Amino acid sequence: MEAFAEIKPGKRYLTRIYLGIMLWFVGRAVQAAAKVDKEVAKEFENMPDEYTFCLGAFPNGPYMIVGKDAIGRVRYKGGNPDKHDIHLEMGLKSLGNLFTMFTFRESTPVANARDRLFVCGDVPNACACVRVLDIVQVYLLPKPIAKLAIKRYPRWSFKRHTLDRALVLIRTLIGF
Amino acid sequence: MYIPDYFEFCCRVKIVAGHDGLEQIPSLLTAMGSSAPMILTDKGVRAAGLVDVVETALGGNLTIPTIEDDVPPDSDLNVVHRLADVYREKGCDAIIAVGGGSVLDTAKGINILVSEDSDNLMEFTGAGALKRPLRPLIAVPTTAGTGSEVTLVAVIADHANNRKMLFTSYFLLPDAAVVDPRMTLTLPPHITAATAMDAMAHSVESTVMMSKNPLSDAHAREAMTLISKHLVSVIKNPSDKDGRLALATAATMAGIAFSNAMVGMVHAIGHSVGSVCHVPHGTCMAILLPYGLEYNLHKAEDRIADLLLPLAGPEAVVSTPADKRAQAAIDWIREFNKELNQITSGRHATRFKDLKGHDGTPMVPKDKLPEIAATAMGDGAIFYNPEDMDYEDFLMVTEAAWEGVPLDPTRIKKG
Repeated sequence: MEAFAEIKPGKRYLTRIYLGIMLWFVGRAVQAAAKVDKEVAKEFENMPDEYTFCLGAFPNGPYMIVGKDAIGRVRYKGGNPDKHDIHLEMGLKSLGNLFTMFTFRESTPVANARDRLFVCGDVPNACACVRVLDIVQVYLLPKPIAKLAIKRYPRWSFKRHTLDRALVLIRTLIGF
Repeated sequence: MYIPDYFEFCCRVKIVAGHDGLEQIPSLLTAMGSSAPMILTDKGVRAAGLVDVVETALGGNLTIPTIEDDVPPDSDLNVVHRLADVYREKGCDAIIAVGGGSVLDTAKGINILVSEDSDNLMEFTGAGALKRPLRPLIAVPTTAGTGSEVTLVAVIADHANNRKMLFTSYFLLPDAAVVDPRMTLTLPPHITAATAMDAMAHSVESTVMMSKNPLSDAHAREAMTLISKHLVSVIKNPSDKDGRLALATAATMAGIAFSNAMVGMVHAIGHSVGSVCHVPHGTCMAILLPYGLEYNLHKAEDRIADLLLPLAGPEAVVSTPADKRAQAAIDWIREFNKELNQITSGRHATRFKDLKGHDGTPMVPKDKLPEIAATAMGDGAIFYNPEDMDYEDFLMVTEAAWEGVPLDPTRIKKG
């Protein structure tokens, strides 16, 4: 039989680097928002201790893992799901789907509606995680871009839009 | 027509529909390699003689190891575990589920346990927990409404923790659905109305949701046409076999539609009202449906306007200006509910305030509305709703549905 060279899919290094940075940033922002924002804190309060969720691209990542520790603090737990007991997995079906979402060409709700997103885990906590991610995106992104990412841009107080946003951004950058 | 950039559609259930559908069950089971099915039903269905109809149709050609009828109106976690043990003890190798949504959901729960050889259903909650096909399951719906016979979802109540658990997987799709109008001939008028409005809610919501697609729309629009054309006449003439078959077919088509395009806030709130106050699901759907459309009007006006044709017919479309059709479709549903209320002697409720339990006490006390709104926040159906909802929004809609007044458009947040 004639030998054929095996065709391997491209590695898409730049895409993976971009998504890795975005997920790292969002993961740390969730940790920061849980300390600054009462609504985010309340969502996590309703989850059991050590509850952990991940968001990423199926099958090979990148991922971000966020969860509560044994005393209930919200922590960004890195990007390797194999090291953690994951209770809720939210995955885009391909790297390309995740890239489309994180370049704001498709919002999270639209990606979900188009069956690009799969959720493995309990539904009430998945709803809570989506609400947390929506809030974090409003903190991180300018309004015109955030409106592309979520269903409805919220009407927040001036303090929440300014002081709380500054605190979330600072805490995200320094990891505190 | 709206065509999304990308969509998925799947319905791998064999549908056997017609006036002699039940007679096909033995050959369906043979094709699946099964010879000892458990018949699962509830006491109401059995008392109505429907299991006898099924047994007669099977014609003595099949060994039935057991007929189990201890399924409560609200599928229950403990019942699922107990009946899974019965399935194993009796050596069953398939399930024929004869009943409404609760029986079919219970059957799906039992099928998970016996197929996975597990004694803990909680291991399989949520989406995607099932990884392989389950044992044969044939669904025989006895209401024309839930669409459970073609859905990939099961909702099972955990009464100890006052919550409903959702199971979602393509492996929960029954292998076959037998849609036979003999199963719905004895339904009383108010239940015929409520269950058909459940199917109506499935079809209407699936055409408005973010995940709608041309294939789901085709099923949903035909379902709406069949229900709007046949429901009133069937309530007035319950022995109308052709009308019953039309409604049963519509329910199945609506089930296919919402399995693929999903449902939204009407179901999110309806599930919560059912969970907190134990109101029948179809009743919740009938009451909430116009509110779901009103709330999403600013985001989905074109889609809602398109409902007028299957609901009210071409003359209504022609006589209504294009910019008034969405509101006309909402008004049509409200008027349809009122007509159903009249022809069922008031038993088809149009607002939560009017619902009374067997002892005459209100089924939905006003002080329960905050709990209903909070519970709805954890319902996955809201993912697919065009407009977002927070606690205040859920409470606003629930309060309006309780009073039976239209939503105040100035209170609907737009972002």
